[in-house]
Amino acid sequence: MDILLESMSKPVIALMKGVVFRENDERLWQQLEDGQSALRDYVQVLGLELIVDASEGYAWLKTREPLEGEEPLPRLVGRRKLSYPVSLIIALLRKKLAENDSSGEETRLILSVEEITDMVKVFFPAGGNEARLVDRINSHLNKIADLGFIRRLKGRNDKIEVIRILKAFVDAQWLHDFDERLNQYRETIGAGSNDQGHEN
Amino acid sequence: MALDYSTLKTLRKNHPAWKLLVADHSPLIAGFVHKIFIAPNRRRMGQADLASALEDYLFTLRETEGQDAFPRRAEAYLDEWASQEKGWLRKFYPQGSDEVHYDLMPWVEKALAWLENLVQSPFIGTESRLMTIFDLLHQMVQGTELDARSRIQSLERQKAEIDAQLARVREGHMDMLDDTALKDRFLLINKTARELLGDFREVEYNFRRLDQKTREQIALWEGSKGTLLENFFGERDVIAESDQGKSFNAFWDLLMSPTRQDELSTLLHKVFELGAVKELSPDMRLKRIHYDWLEAGEQTQRTVAKLSGQLRRYLDDQAFLENRRIMQVIQSIESQGVQIKNNLPGNDFMTIDESSPGVWLPMERPLYTFPVKPVIEEIVSLGDGSDIPSDILHAAVFVDRLKLKGIIRNCLQTQDQVTLEQILEAHPLEQGLAELVTYLSLAGDDEKALFDESRNHRVSWTDKRGVTRGAQFCAVIFNR
Repeated sequence: MDILLESMSKPVIALMKGVVFRENDERLWQQLEDGQSALRDYVQVLGLELIVDASEGYAWLKTREPLEGEEPLPRLVGRRKLSYPVSLIIALLRKKLAENDSSGEETRLILSVEEITDMVKVFFPAGGNEARLVDRINSHLNKIADLGFIRRLKGRNDKIEVIRILKAFVDAQWLHDFDERLNQYRETIGAGSNDQGHEN
Repeated sequence: MALDYSTLKTLRKNHPAWKLLVADHSPLIAGFVHKIFIAPNRRRMGQADLASALEDYLFTLRETEGQDAFPRRAEAYLDEWASQEKGWLRKFYPQGSDEVHYDLMPWVEKALAWLENLVQSPFIGTESRLMTIFDLLHQMVQGTELDARSRIQSLERQKAEIDAQLARVREGHMDMLDDTALKDRFLLINKTARELLGDFREVEYNFRRLDQKTREQIALWEGSKGTLLENFFGERDVIAESDQGKSFNAFWDLLMSPTRQDELSTLLHKVFELGAVKELSPDMRLKRIHYDWLEAGEQTQRTVAKLSGQLRRYLDDQAFLENRRIMQVIQSIESQGVQIKNNLPGNDFMTIDESSPGVWLPMERPLYTFPVKPVIEEIVSLGDGSDIPSDILHAAVFVDRLKLKGIIRNCLQTQDQVTLEQILEAHPLEQGLAELVTYLSLAGDDEKALFDESRNHRVSWTDKRGVTRGAQFCAVIFNR
């Protein structure tokens, strides 16, 4: 029993603190995979669900959907509020990741701040100060880095790696909600009454 | 493909190997990549090392060619050579490294092989080539013969030949290869062996292309997922089952068998002892060529395994359909985003789940600690009375606190904790003591930073006058 407890403690604690990546700690990952079903039962009590993506090599805890007829539990996993620019950049990075996957070869997606700026520019009011735009984008990127979806390369501050976990959090459902919300917003401000480009 | 005028014209315009040969700097490029990649059989190199090697190379060239011969910096050359337009170097980030790495593109190897042909071999062995052709033809005919009787016949004929040879040797007649024949064969071995080494780059490149092509087809796939899987995988693996894959795997199995390796070692060793071969003053690298094959082959092997795995993952359950849906939704988001660009929503727009349950234990927060009072143990020795301009004291050094704060913040984006020592390693002090003190004061203001007085760290820097200075400080740990 003690051995079981010990082998479970580390993975549970690590998961409570954040996403566990295989490449960061192979041993911990092994423990996590071995004890998967026990861990799953354990965190279920807390209203959490263990998600393990073995092929991508990461695992994390998310809020468990209440079963039918079950009273929803208080959420342990917090929700971050995202500003519009941050949401938009996240969506565009997700697109880059999907494109990268369909062109093959590299699993690592590394972009420069310049590339990201070019990609994002068309969604912000034209004109004005280019340098200020870059500054603002940099500060949005810092927020995204705090969320754990990107990281800056060591020694190269202008290069950014998109961490593949982004795929798990920014899924089709999330993007769909974003799209809906944009549609609503567009209606409230009465911009472009045509519904072009919006699909259900 | 016919080598007609228009094909050749396109080739000269587009093929990287030809472009390399006609480039203004072709001697520089060819000489450099031969020295760095081909001669030592190196398969990848980090940007910093490669740039410094090139800088050295340029330095020696400028000694003879004049100072203005190659005016650009090493990085600029590397960037150009790796650009889409030139395509001589492959630029990539290996797993687990944040530094760009480079490797040769396969066609550079072709151009270099052609150049090597120009300067090499006083004589080309023709006999051994003819023999090789006979051998290959025999193998092909025998290997496809269905009729057992003719197969037996041909084996019998070989047996008879061997018996005749045995009889001759028993009688004391031994056929010896003369020196010319030996040289002839050795040169062919040398050439083939080196070529094989170069082929690996091309083999790897072919695998990459195959992977890309498959992904493109998958992305454009219109039918159901079941047929898609059937089409691309069935029971087989697209990459391992391609002609290239099968041939490479057979080569690899052959090379990996221990008896083959021993055999190769012994044979090569014996051959190098032969007088005729010594006369050729052969390239000693050939003696251990099979280790080079192993090294290069292993990398190709890894590439194949990696690509196969990734391709499977790409086709994995939801990924395929999900990606498609995602691209559609994002398209809609983009078109709506452009429409509202002059009227951006303020406030918070979306929410996203955090990546872990928030567990904030109040007791984990550090309690108030008394600020550390620095004890100055330095012994102040008297100066030599020479004039020290006093305005140095007044010209206070301005240290940009915000910049230092930014550095700390950036370091914490990749890890949960970072020590001041690690920060200084990555970002050496530029303004000496004043800067160090600023770091310490930032740590003092930061609730989450810890001072560990049981450990000491040292740092050294060079001041404006070129004097190396050092300081000792107690360990500081910044926390996210």
